[in-house]
Amino acid sequence: MFFSFCMFFRTSPELLLNPVTICRNEAEKCLIETSINSLRISLKVKQSDELENILTKKFLRFLSMRAEAFQVLRRKPVQGYDISFLITNYHCEDMQKQKLIDFIVQFMEDIDKEISELKLSVNTRGRLVATEFLKQFI
Amino acid sequence: MKPARKSKDKLWASTHRVTIWHLDSRSRFTGKSMAATSVHKFAQCISCHAWSPDLSMIAFCPNNSEVHIYKLSEDKWEKVHVLQKHDQIVSGIDWSYRSNKIVTVSHDRNSYVWNQEATGWVPTLVILRLNRAALCVQWSPKENKFAVGSGAKTVCICYYEQENNWWVSKLIRKRHDSSVTSIAWHPNNVLLATTSTDGKCRVFSTFIKGVDAKDSAMGNSADTKFGEQIVQLDLCFCWAFGVRWSPSGNTLAYVGHNSMIYFVDEVGPSAAAQSVAIRDLPLRDVLFLSERMVVGVGFDCNPMVFVADESGLWSFLRFLDERKSASSSAKYGSQFSEAFGKFYGQSKFSASNNVEQSRGAHDNCINCILPLAKQRKSSVTRFTTSGLDGKIVTWDLQKQEDLLDYL
Repeated sequence: MFFSFCMFFRTSPELLLNPVTICRNEAEKCLIETSINSLRISLKVKQSDELENILTKKFLRFLSMRAEAFQVLRRKPVQGYDISFLITNYHCEDMQKQKLIDFIVQFMEDIDKEISELKLSVNTRGRLVATEFLKQFI
Repeated sequence: MKPARKSKDKLWASTHRVTIWHLDSRSRFTGKSMAATSVHKFAQCISCHAWSPDLSMIAFCPNNSEVHIYKLSEDKWEKVHVLQKHDQIVSGIDWSYRSNKIVTVSHDRNSYVWNQEATGWVPTLVILRLNRAALCVQWSPKENKFAVGSGAKTVCICYYEQENNWWVSKLIRKRHDSSVTSIAWHPNNVLLATTSTDGKCRVFSTFIKGVDAKDSAMGNSADTKFGEQIVQLDLCFCWAFGVRWSPSGNTLAYVGHNSMIYFVDEVGPSAAAQSVAIRDLPLRDVLFLSERMVVGVGFDCNPMVFVADESGLWSFLRFLDERKSASSSAKYGSQFSEAFGKFYGQSKFSASNNVEQSRGAHDNCINCILPLAKQRKSSVTRFTTSGLDGKIVTWDLQKQEDLLDYL
């Protein structure tokens, strides 16, 4: 099916609009690609250090594995991005536009929140473990 | 008047003017009586609808291969017929005013003309000779022809051949560079305007010998051959969608996916165009209520009213639907949080499922707008809209005092 989509846009390139990138900096950006009957939104989540990097990777992999539960989520993100959504005309027919938008916004907020929470708990745990470990030398 | 050649299309630039409205449109609305007089949800999603000539019945496609016909009896809608003949989504329906015939087109590339007989609706297959989906259909004003726009970059003009008892399709080929999204007949029964996803709006002559008689009412357009392009409007740099002629045929309006609406006066070599940019989401379809008032519908789920002042200058007036300003912070219980709840087995992610209530008459994209009148009139006050939310909404402007001046 994906192949036929590719062929379709190769023969009718006017059915694709110019993609839009919204970015704060190199690390945080959003790519929106539009076509006549679908829309792909790709996100790159902020990763300020290596810990955040690995957390984001693991966490978004966990979500992508369950993509069918989210309907609009893709299993494989666009290259250079962490997570991709694909909204087709079928989704728009089944769901209300406003709710789809709310879902994506909520999703983005939740990812940010979840990653910072995970980072905090990793740090707390690291500190605890270190304390416990170093206690034996006292 | 000679038909414009391709080089003359550039004439547009000199008369072309852009108006951009920064005004907060919503602040201009003063809460009055509701314009939406009835809202009825017929299906999950409606791709198109059409009214019977006496306005007692409605035909619509619930986004599948069927066409449902409902009749209003004692304030209740009752399903009276289901037309099943197409194999794929029905993309266009038109119900003729005088001859009481329904024409349907579908993604299965076929078209049927339905005739009401004692036993029910009897279909006649019209072979369109397309290799892509048919997208839109409309009866000509005299109802001796109908036009079909398609994804095959062609427009079919179909007419009835008495001797063969058969609907014949004549194609306008190699004129469009992309799918034809919308078509509109000029009141003179010969000119046809089309919009296409290559962003252009074109006007063709559809004069067919033996079907159309040459008379003076058609003016110069009767001299042109079938399929000849009268003009090509190059105003939009994005996909173009709905197109309509004004009741007199003097003005043409069409919309682009770049949130613009275009008005073209005196279509021909000396045409004058106006572009109005809107600050909201793009429109999908338009309707002339009178020579001076246009309603556009689209992704904003709320009809927009455009009016022309005495000098013929078009501008955005206001939204038609009254919206309650629901708090946008209402939490949407996403599947995301639910999935997390399952994963963690915690209540931390329990879905706060107070789904936001719909705020207006429509709560998804509107893609079809039709006048509600028993015959073609120079001005209408009632019209209906349908969209992806499966609702058909009737609007009445009789009590909208600020709009009556323009009717």
